[in-house]
Amino acid sequence: MKKISRRQFLAQVAMAGGTLAVYNTAMALDLVGNKDALTTLKLKPTTSKQTVAVLGGGIAGLAAAHELGEAGYNVVILEASHRLGGRNLTLRHGDLIDELGRPNYCQFDKAPNLYFNAGPARIPGHHRRLLHYCKKFHVPLAIKANHNRLAYAYDNVPGAPAMTRQQYYISDARGFLAELAWKAVKKNLFDEPLSKEDVEKLEFFIRGYGDLDTSGQYSGTYRAGATTDRMLSHGDKYEPMALQQLVNSEYWKGSMNSPENFDWLSPLMEPKGGMDQVVEGFKRNLKAKVKLKAQVQAINLRDDGVEIAYQYKGKVETLKADYCFNNIPAPFLPGIPNNFSEGYRDVIASFERDSLFKIGFQMKKRFWEEEGIYGGITYTSDRINQIWYPGHDINADKGVLLGAYIWNPEDIEHFANLSLEDRLKEAAAQGEAIHKGYSGYIENGVSIAWHRMNNMMGCGNRISESHFERNFPLAQKPEGNRHFLIGDQVSYHPGWQEGALASAETALLQFNQLVSAA
Amino acid sequence: MRSLMLMLSGCISLALSSLCLAEGDLKPVPKEFQYCTVCHGTQMQGNPSTGAPRISGLPSWYIVNQLKSFQHSYRGTDASDQPGNEMRIAAEGITSDMLDDAAAFASATQSPLPAATLTGDATKGKALFATCMACHGDQAQGNEALFAPPLTGRNDWYLTRQLNNFLSGKRGAADGDVTGSQMAAAVTVLTDEQAVADVVAFIQTLN
Repeated sequence: MKKISRRQFLAQVAMAGGTLAVYNTAMALDLVGNKDALTTLKLKPTTSKQTVAVLGGGIAGLAAAHELGEAGYNVVILEASHRLGGRNLTLRHGDLIDELGRPNYCQFDKAPNLYFNAGPARIPGHHRRLLHYCKKFHVPLAIKANHNRLAYAYDNVPGAPAMTRQQYYISDARGFLAELAWKAVKKNLFDEPLSKEDVEKLEFFIRGYGDLDTSGQYSGTYRAGATTDRMLSHGDKYEPMALQQLVNSEYWKGSMNSPENFDWLSPLMEPKGGMDQVVEGFKRNLKAKVKLKAQVQAINLRDDGVEIAYQYKGKVETLKADYCFNNIPAPFLPGIPNNFSEGYRDVIASFERDSLFKIGFQMKKRFWEEEGIYGGITYTSDRINQIWYPGHDINADKGVLLGAYIWNPEDIEHFANLSLEDRLKEAAAQGEAIHKGYSGYIENGVSIAWHRMNNMMGCGNRISESHFERNFPLAQKPEGNRHFLIGDQVSYHPGWQEGALASAETALLQFNQLVSAA
Repeated sequence: MRSLMLMLSGCISLALSSLCLAEGDLKPVPKEFQYCTVCHGTQMQGNPSTGAPRISGLPSWYIVNQLKSFQHSYRGTDASDQPGNEMRIAAEGITSDMLDDAAAFASATQSPLPAATLTGDATKGKALFATCMACHGDQAQGNEALFAPPLTGRNDWYLTRQLNNFLSGKRGAADGDVTGSQMAAAVTVLTDEQAVADVVAFIQTLN
C-alpha cells in the first residue's frame, strides 16, 4: 500500500481542481441556499414487494435501507459484524473491540458520561445530510469545542518553543507575520503600487491583525493573557518568542492551521451521549430485516436481480434480491467471488486501504479542567499527535479523554504493531510530557487501529490517486443497473459520515431514475 | 452438486445473465475461522487488495508451520511489511489447540486458481528454477521432509513479495527460524528483481 496520508491525498485531489471545484461550488451554493440536501430525495413509493439487499450496515447502508424501507421495498441488511454502525462506534463499559487477533473489551466504568467516540466524533454545521437525519430522528446534538486556544501546542523538536497555550503561540505568529506585512507596505512592495488611502487602510488592518504598535512593532500582546491575574491589575504581557523558535516549530507548520479546515470550523457538534446516537436513530427508523454476523460469500448479478450467498448461523444461505446496495469496504470485494464486468472489477481493484488510530483513556480526575481547558484539542509533535478533552459533562468526577489520534501512516503502523498494553503505555508517556502526572490519572484505556479491525481493515479507503479521476465516476454508477457501490469510500470525503450519506444519496437518486423509468 | 471450483472459475468469464451460485455450493466456515476469510477472502481464495494470499490447497503441515512462524515473530516484524505484521497479530488469536483445526480448515478450502497478474520471462525462469527444484520438487509440488511448500496455486504477487522478503531479510533472518533461514540462503540465486519475476512467471506455468 502506498504510504500517503488521507490528508495529503485530499490536498492533492484538491489541487487537481476540476470536478472537485464543481463539487465545492455546488456545496457552496447549497450552503447559501441553506437547502436540506436529503429532503429533496423522494423515492418513488412502491407496492412491488421488490427486495433490496444492503450489504454492510455502516452509515451509507443504514441510510439506503432507511430510505428504501420508507418507499416500501422489502429491505434486508446483511452485516458481517456483531453490530450496526460500521465505524460509527461509541465505546462504553463492556463493549467488544474486535481487532483481528486481539479481540478485547472496553474497561470504562459503567457510567453514562464515560464513553469514547472511536470513529467519527464531530459534525460541522454544513454536513447537511447528516444533520437532516439527526433532526428527523430526534438525535439531540450539542456544540463541541474542537478548537480551544487555551489547550496546548507542544513541540518536541530542537529549537522550538517550550510548551505553550495555543493562543500565546498564535498571537506571536500573527504578530511576526504582521510585522513582515507592515514592512512590505512601508516599502510598497506590490505588483501595482497602492494609493496613500489604500496604504492607510492596509496598515490599519495589519496593526489590528498582529496587535502592532503605531510604529509597526510587535512586542507581545494582551491577547495572549498576562503573566499575572488580570482582574485587579493589567498584569504583564508575555515576552514574545523568538522568530527562530516559531520557524523551528512543527505546530506552526501544521496543526496551527487545522481549525481553518472547512470540516473542522468552529463550532462543531456531537450527539449527546455519543456519536452512535446517530446509529440508534437509524435503528429506530428502519423498516428492514437486519441480519448481524452475516458474512457475504459471493455476489452474482443477473439480468433480473442479484443473488448474494452469505454465511449465517453456520450455514451458507442465498438471498435473491432485485437490487443490491453494497456498503462493504471495497478492498474486501476482490476476495469475494462475483461476476462483475472486467471494467467494474478494475474500478473495485483500484480502491486502497487507509488507516487511522485512536486511543481513549478513562481518567480518574478531569485534571485538564483545573488547567483551564474545557474541551478542544492539544497538538503535539510526538506520535500521539493530539489529545482531545471531552466537552460534555464538565466538572464530573471522571472523564474519557482521547489520548492519541494518529494520521501519519508510519506512526499508525508503529502503534498498531505494539501490544495493546504497550500502545497505552507509550501514549501515556507522551501525554506526560504535556500534563504532569498524566499517567497517574489513567484508570484504563482502549486503542482502535481501524485498519486492523475485523470486517473493516481500513478507514478512509479510497480509489488510488493515479486512478481517482477516471474511476470515481465509474464507481458511482450501478453495475448491470442492479448493484450500487456505496459508502464514504465512494466520496471525496472518506472517513466522514457526510461522505457516506452523499454516496447513498447519489446511488438512491440513480435507483429512483431506474425504477421510475421501468 | 457441481464442483465448486468449476462454479467459481466459471463466474469470472460468464456474462451477467449466467447463474453462478446455487445453495450448497459454498462450504460454511467454522465460526472461529471466519476471521481468516475477512482478509483471505471467501474460501481463502486470496485478495490482492488486502495483501492476503490464497491459502486453499496448501498442505496442513505447512500452514501450521507458518502460523507458528508468525506467532514466534519469525515473520511479519519488519515495519515495512504491513501484511506480514497484520498476519502476525491475527495469528495471536489462534491458540495452540486451534492450530491443527485452523490448518485443516484452510487447507481443505476450494477456490479458483489465481490468475496471472504479473509478467516475467518463464523461459529464463525455468533455468533459474533448477535450483529451487532440489527442495520444492520438479513440478513445484513441495516436499514435507524438507519443509518446502508447494508453490503452485499461489498468487504471483504473493510469491514475488515473499521472494523479495527473503532477499531483503524481512523473512528468514530471525533467530530460530530454521526453515526460513534455509530459504533465505537458497534465494540468493535470484540476483535481481527481474530474476524474481522470471522464476515466478515459470512457477505460474506449472499451475
